[in-house]
Amino acid sequence: MSLHDKNSAISGLVINIQHFCTNDGPGIRTTVFLKGCSLRCKWCSNPESIHPKPEIAYNMSKCIGRKQCGFCLKPPCPEGAFYVLDGDDDRVRINWDLADQEPQNLADVCPTGAIYLFGQRMTVEEVIAEVEQDSAFYQESGGGVTISGGECLLQPDFTAAILEEAHKRGMNTAIETAGNVPWEYMEKVLPHVDLMLHDHKLTDPERQRRWCGVDNVRIKQNFKRAYETFPGTNFKARTPLIPGVNDDDEHIESVLAFIRPYANVIDYELLPYHRFGESKYSYLGRVYELEDFNAPTAERLQHLRAKIDSAFGRDSQG
Amino acid sequence: MQSDGKKIGLCAGRGYIPGVNIILKSVYLAARERGASVIGIRDGFDGILFSGDYADGGTVPLTGELVEILDIAGNLLGAGARRDPFRLQSISAQGMVEEIDRSDELIEKIRDLGLAALIVIGGHQTMSTLLKLSRKGLPVVCIPVSAENEIAATQLSFGFNTALNFTADMLDRASHAALAAGKIGVVEVLGAESGWLALQSALTACADAVLIPEFPYKPESLAQHLEKKLCGGSRHGLVVVAEGASVVPLAQPAQACAGPMRRSLAPLAQEGEGRFVIDRTGSAAETVCRSLQKLLRHETYPLALGSWSKGGSLTAVDKQLGMAYGVAAVRAALQGSTGTMVAFEPPDIDFIPIEQVINRVRCVPRDSIFLSTADALGIYTGGR
Repeated sequence: MSLHDKNSAISGLVINIQHFCTNDGPGIRTTVFLKGCSLRCKWCSNPESIHPKPEIAYNMSKCIGRKQCGFCLKPPCPEGAFYVLDGDDDRVRINWDLADQEPQNLADVCPTGAIYLFGQRMTVEEVIAEVEQDSAFYQESGGGVTISGGECLLQPDFTAAILEEAHKRGMNTAIETAGNVPWEYMEKVLPHVDLMLHDHKLTDPERQRRWCGVDNVRIKQNFKRAYETFPGTNFKARTPLIPGVNDDDEHIESVLAFIRPYANVIDYELLPYHRFGESKYSYLGRVYELEDFNAPTAERLQHLRAKIDSAFGRDSQG
Repeated sequence: MQSDGKKIGLCAGRGYIPGVNIILKSVYLAARERGASVIGIRDGFDGILFSGDYADGGTVPLTGELVEILDIAGNLLGAGARRDPFRLQSISAQGMVEEIDRSDELIEKIRDLGLAALIVIGGHQTMSTLLKLSRKGLPVVCIPVSAENEIAATQLSFGFNTALNFTADMLDRASHAALAAGKIGVVEVLGAESGWLALQSALTACADAVLIPEFPYKPESLAQHLEKKLCGGSRHGLVVVAEGASVVPLAQPAQACAGPMRRSLAPLAQEGEGRFVIDRTGSAAETVCRSLQKLLRHETYPLALGSWSKGGSLTAVDKQLGMAYGVAAVRAALQGSTGTMVAFEPPDIDFIPIEQVINRVRCVPRDSIFLSTADALGIYTGGR
């Protein structure tokens, strides 16, 4: 099936396309992760998705050393971007201040993949071709394609085009969003969305600013407007549960109060904090600020989930 | 040499070292002798880029009256935030968080102040940023400060001697305490990438072992060394461990470097709260204690000096060094030797291009006199 002409010229920046996802919407899904985010949540487990442009990452454990290689120590790599310390260990180190140019060139010189690139430009056609491979599984399981990120709504034309093409092919569509975008972006994409998974991270605007970089005034406005403007679309609220930050009863109750008036908000899910993405910070030369945070306890999770079940008229899960 | 009323800017980079005011005093006096004046910039580059946040506009003209009453142990200008002018987090007009490059704006505003050069008091986290600014045409001179003395191309960074003095004093106390208790004290000191502070202070206290990043240690060898001493009649022990000391073999492959050479400005950093990684002080001492306890009958206990080492009054050595560095920096700034760091290469102070300072760590070499002295005294120094 060919693309609509208007969609064939559109491309976007993709970090990853992950098959066989079961937590990003109903059934078995393929999730397309886009690059760029308009928040800076301190617990982010996908730091490679934050910056809107391609960037390199560096895993020193894959470096085979200057004696065996040393390609990154010469042009076209910028002088000083990579270096070796005096001593027995001849593996390359990276100076992140100076390695900020031409990421594709930097990644290309490394034969072992120690230097690699996050963010590849892909066309709608390329994405759909990748996603379509699992069509049989979508049909069997009620799954489909989910566009995530980063913040997928920061590439509204690309996201809308992918979802439109997916619908044409009979696939269920979903997006994951934090909602911190101009309403026009959301309005462009939502006509092609069957399910919107969206984050209610914090209630208090100032605490949201502190933990996520900006307050939640526009985010809440967007969500409310989306619920009201698209009554036929399903919405699933989510909270990444961070102990000591937003795992209090007040926040959960506040979210429930916000979403319950809307019949098309079909569920509210808690996502326990984890640190699976922590190693990526060092690969990107960044600091992970929540080193001493732990996952919420099972008891706390159970207590809060029971509140949600009660609000939705369900028996509490055991 | 008269400098016809030139103006020099002065600011401090990230991190805290006591006694930066003595450098302020030195720069002011040296500039005054040459007919130049000095403008202090608050909080690194924040006084320029966020001038509206300051009642005085972010800059402080240094005067004789002001300099006379300065508390030498303090830092009038404040330390720079962990902010990179090439990647400053801000909120766009559309309410979206983003990182933007304000380096051009910074350079233009510094030019608008009429500054002939900018002297930056900073550690090696500051150097790469200064190099980039220098390449864009900002005339900078750097004065090296470090409690760990790991900045390359200079024998002595400002602040090291003060930290050494304090650490040596504390190790004496720790040794007395360990003797009184009949235990093995494991004291963690500053030194994420180089072991100068640990090694030199351990020598002053005649510790039983010193573990430094340059030479990973084997817990079994360390335990054996301590056991030998304890079996010989001694009742206590003292182990000095630098923050960055590691074990042979490594439990897992080393991660890509996210230590002091890492790039500082993450999208996670923001104004006000939340700029700082939660302090991990004490983990090296705890690790050594736990591993020794499995191998020895004697009780071990951890202590960590951490940021205590970065406070207090300056030693005479650092006071002299601060004065000398300030004078040299002014000379470099006024004669146009910019894009450099002032460096102490006894008996002289030279100007070293910043390119020669970045990407290097001043590590303890295998043939260090301090190491051979430690070996001769029977102090365990890791698996070399």
